[in-house]
Amino acid sequence: MPLLECRGLVRRFGALVAVDDIDLAVEPGEIRAVIGPNGAGKSTVFNLITSVLKPSAGQVIFAGEDITGMPVHEVAQKGIARTFQLCHIFPALTVRENVRIAAQARDGRRWQFLGGGRVLNRSTSAADEAIARMRLTRMADATAAMLSHGDQRLLEIAMAIAQKPRLLMLDEPTQGLSIEETGRAVQILKDMLMEGDLSVLLVEHDMEVVFKLADNITVLHRGRVIADGSPAAVRASAQVRSAYLGGAQ
Amino acid sequence: MNWRLGFLVTAAACAVLPFAVPQHSLTILVEALILGLFAMSLDLLVGYCRLYSFGHAAAYGLGAYSYALILTYVPLPLPAAILLAVAVTIVIAIPIAWICTRSTGVSFAMLTLAFAQLGYAMLFRFRDVTGGSDGLVGIPRHPGPFGIDWFQSKLGYYYLVLACLFGSYLLCRAIVRSPFGAVLAGIRENEAKTIALGYNTRAYKITTVVLAYGFGGLAGALYAAFAGFASPELFFWLTSGRVLIMVIVGGAGTLIGPILGGVSFVFLEHQLSQVTDLWPLIFGTIFMAFVMFAPQGIWGILTSRFRSRRAVSGSDSGKEAPGAAT
Repeated sequence: MPLLECRGLVRRFGALVAVDDIDLAVEPGEIRAVIGPNGAGKSTVFNLITSVLKPSAGQVIFAGEDITGMPVHEVAQKGIARTFQLCHIFPALTVRENVRIAAQARDGRRWQFLGGGRVLNRSTSAADEAIARMRLTRMADATAAMLSHGDQRLLEIAMAIAQKPRLLMLDEPTQGLSIEETGRAVQILKDMLMEGDLSVLLVEHDMEVVFKLADNITVLHRGRVIADGSPAAVRASAQVRSAYLGGAQ
Repeated sequence: MNWRLGFLVTAAACAVLPFAVPQHSLTILVEALILGLFAMSLDLLVGYCRLYSFGHAAAYGLGAYSYALILTYVPLPLPAAILLAVAVTIVIAIPIAWICTRSTGVSFAMLTLAFAQLGYAMLFRFRDVTGGSDGLVGIPRHPGPFGIDWFQSKLGYYYLVLACLFGSYLLCRAIVRSPFGAVLAGIRENEAKTIALGYNTRAYKITTVVLAYGFGGLAGALYAAFAGFASPELFFWLTSGRVLIMVIVGGAGTLIGPILGGVSFVFLEHQLSQVTDLWPLIFGTIFMAFVMFAPQGIWGILTSRFRSRRAVSGSDSGKEAPGAAT
């Protein structure tokens, strides 16, 4: 049974059909990338899965449960962690505080409002672990706003893995990074993915990044799935070339 | 450790203060502490959730009128009446919080203002119960329980207020440093992200509004018991505006700052109103100066002085905080 399954997802914005009858599945332990040119509907699919947008039709099934239209925070509580295309962090807090809030999100006693030293310690050690995996330990006490753009991206991923998700959704993790920063981020991500058996859904623009990280690729074009398969198969597909790869390069 | 020492020294200083000042200024001292508590309660919203309430007078008025009305019908001892008034304020605050937190920013400010003005209007609508524009006068301070009556004297009441203020401060400080408080910081910094992390931020905001009303209601009840009356102006938007100014001038998001803001506001008002009728003009000028030149407030100025002096002495040069986090 797939961990995540989207069945016949449709999302209309007025007359525009941004997502048009998309089926998409992520198996446990699979790293699946969603690619496609601008306006293909990648980010809309992300927002439909995480319930930020409600689908016009179709279903989102996560671990056998229908989560379509569930409140955003409950989707996160089910074990789906995401990063945003435009980096979302807490700029005035330190790196450790940022990740600590994320780690605390699924703690049963997150509501404790007097004392709570044990919850805080628990979350802090979980945060330090996630920070170390993203190689940010040196910056743990720095204010998040002081970090470079590349490190802020890694910080947001550290927050996502501190949530101990069953499915990690990364929305263009290397967007806006320099070539060196991208290389470093990809290496860190790759190391992290080798360690665990995390299931990942990745939206990415940069083909190099996708081919380095993904097990399987779904190609979107104008709101529809036009190809689905291994990186080699997708690369070879004539339809994909004409729709995307050829046009872009 | 440093903090504990500071707290104990301040508490001790406040405890001996009545013996160092002339007897008649005890009244102003009590009033100042009550307004400090009131301002601190609003800081939970303004400083920690960035929810600008422009109707916090509702909490003050609810506390004061609940206290007065309870005693009109039941001759409860003072501590019990105050606690009951706080409980009433909290219960009424729940639906108000539920509605106000449906919006943010300016609409939140307007909704809170609307509820305060609604309370104000109801005082005149139900004048048989509330006394209308006269308010409720001659509210007693009954002794008890167990024959305790030290708070009936002015000096005793000063200590009661002092205990309430310090107790509330310790509670609020624990709250903002707890796991719950960490979520409030998240809401303040980036609410969309906090929701995406899995927090039901609306529930956190409702809780915080109710807590702020609770502490504000405590201040209102203490005021009614001290002054012996509750008047409609406690509900009026001017009260809301003044307490918001106290928070901002004192330093939002620090708890101590708003207390200092409230205390200094009362003292300045007392001093200036003896000299000139134009004192609101001076207040306005001070407020504008703070907003423009010292948005970190009184407490921010005090602590940054202290910090820079420490940095100059070079005891821990590497640990200078990059930008004020609070």
